Amino acid sequence: MLQQRSSTPIEILRYALIVVILTASLFPIAWLIITSFKPADDIMVSPPRFIFTPTLDNYTYALHKANFMHFIQNTLYVAVVSTVFVIVLSSLASYSFARYNPGGGNILFFILTTKMFPAIAVVLPYFLIFKEIGDTAVGKALGIGLDRPGALIVSYTMFNLPFAIWLMVSFFQDIPRELEDSARLDGYNRLQVLWRVVLPLAAPGIAVTAIFCLLFSWNEFLFAYILTRDAARTITVGVESFFTLRGILWGPVAAAATISVAPMLVFVLILQRYMVRGLTFGAVRG
Amino acid sequence: MIELRNVTKRYGLSTFGVRDLNFEVRDQEFLVIYGPSGAGKSTTLKLLAGIIQPTAGDLVRDGESLLKVAPESRDMAMAFENYALYSHMSVYENLAFPLRAKKMTKQEIDERVQRTARMLQISDLLDRRPGFLSGGQRQRVALGRAIIRPASLYLLDEPIGHLDAKLRHRMRGELKAMSVDLRATIVLVTTASREALALGDRIAILREGHLQQIGTPNEVYYQPANEFVASFVGEPPMSFLGIEPTSENGQLYFNMQDCASRLRVPPQLAQHLNGETAGYRLGVRASEITVAQQQDAGHCVPGQVFIIEQMGYCNIISAKVGNGLVRVVTDSTVTAKRNETIWLSLDAEHMHLFYQHKAICHPTRFVDEGRANAAGMNAR
Repeated sequence: MLQQRSSTPIEILRYALIVVILTASLFPIAWLIITSFKPADDIMVSPPRFIFTPTLDNYTYALHKANFMHFIQNTLYVAVVSTVFVIVLSSLASYSFARYNPGGGNILFFILTTKMFPAIAVVLPYFLIFKEIGDTAVGKALGIGLDRPGALIVSYTMFNLPFAIWLMVSFFQDIPRELEDSARLDGYNRLQVLWRVVLPLAAPGIAVTAIFCLLFSWNEFLFAYILTRDAARTITVGVESFFTLRGILWGPVAAAATISVAPMLVFVLILQRYMVRGLTFGAVRG
Repeated sequence: MIELRNVTKRYGLSTFGVRDLNFEVRDQEFLVIYGPSGAGKSTTLKLLAGIIQPTAGDLVRDGESLLKVAPESRDMAMAFENYALYSHMSVYENLAFPLRAKKMTKQEIDERVQRTARMLQISDLLDRRPGFLSGGQRQRVALGRAIIRPASLYLLDEPIGHLDAKLRHRMRGELKAMSVDLRATIVLVTTASREALALGDRIAILREGHLQQIGTPNEVYYQPANEFVASFVGEPPMSFLGIEPTSENGQLYFNMQDCASRLRVPPQLAQHLNGETAGYRLGVRASEITVAQQQDAGHCVPGQVFIIEQMGYCNIISAKVGNGLVRVVTDSTVTAKRNETIWLSLDAEHMHLFYQHKAICHPTRFVDEGRANAAGMNAR
């Protein structure tokens, strides 16, 4: 029997809902991009002007006068390095949790407890710790200390690690054990099996985890605000610096925000194709 | 030669995979491990492969313990029951995977992959990922990955169970040829009686982790060690009749339960009776007896037809004798109606005698034939 087509009122409602949701989610981004090209006089006027002469003044201001390029470099460095640390540590840890379950689940739960307090509760202790470490030779050599990127890398790694482990354990558990057994019999040792069979199959999970970690580090504000001043300042804190005592520089804020959204958008689009679940589809029967 | 010495695998506190296994895998032999599901067949293969370690006992290859040898160093190839294909690689790469571990040249890998693919009829699937294959195709890839390289021992866990009948028949021939031509040592797990008898140089029969019997197909078929082996090897399964030995005027008879007729006990059977009257059963194979429409000298036990199964080349008649059920293979021309009385050529001389489920006597005719066949096999 042929399936009946959905009735027209429901179709209309469906599309209306889609339009509402899209408008709600895309409007801030549209406002951001439009504002970043507006001359200062055309921003914050009522009624809003949709016709104006586009200008690159806001970008010039943000990039040159406010040294925004430097903030981007800092953010990129901190976010990428902490993400790499998190991925390496958490993939090894979660593989081990998934296969051998050390501590019978207690250690895994303990790891989660480190996420159970608000970030603000630890930021002051961190401040004091990094202040002390920054004065030592080790801190100087590793770039760990107040207003140094190392402080943020350590903080972000600490913060993302529990979450990453929990996310990836389930991905590793989904990989059938027989694949590893089979690879062993095919003549590969444990490390080779991990490298050639387990990690490729866990790639979607690793990609998802990497995206989450990178986005968190990229958008993090509190730690960056407390632990850095100038040398290691990141984008989020940089944007905040346009909120001056004399007023908010809406144009440069919009330009800076637009710039900071772009890299993450590109990154997520690239990794999106790895974000398909079911790479192990077809590995075992049933 | 690999010996299993008192090998026990226990899961948790009281669940046993296998219990106290003792047998050996001889060089260049085709050993079939046969049994119902849950008997410990796959566990035995995994123990041999080193994927799991025995709780107790030892595995010895040519005098040296295998327990400390890692799976990748045992030089064994295995096809898994659930295929275990590398789903992120193409079929070609799946097949080439064990060859790459051996550092073979590109050309050699390609030759072997193509040859194996041809044999398994998967040449046109080499570019696909396992996820885009049917169950039978996946099983062939799994089998191909196991047999593509030379190995001291091939472990095949139900490697052809999910192929269609025609291909299964062909692959059975290929496996047999492989064992003869390459002088390969193969341990194959199956739940199909026919496959076990057709392929094995020897058959090991497992039940609930215990080894029931190990021997040539003829030995396990003609001289089953107990009722389980007798009923599990061969199709249709052996029929059993509960009996009670009685003596009348110096002549021993077997009374059948709920049955008016009785069987005369031949002297060679009489010596095995121990004076007990309970616990005896007679076993008879469907192909070892005949039926007749009318009673005559050879057919003197009546039975009521219960079911007729038509197999094409033969009919299998199940008939009620007393409170037991006896299966008979007949010509496909023989027909009978349900509840019709037919006459069976039951004769204790040609039946297997069991006491408390253990075999105590086999018909001499078959014992001799079994020996002769076994000797012939060994000579070859």
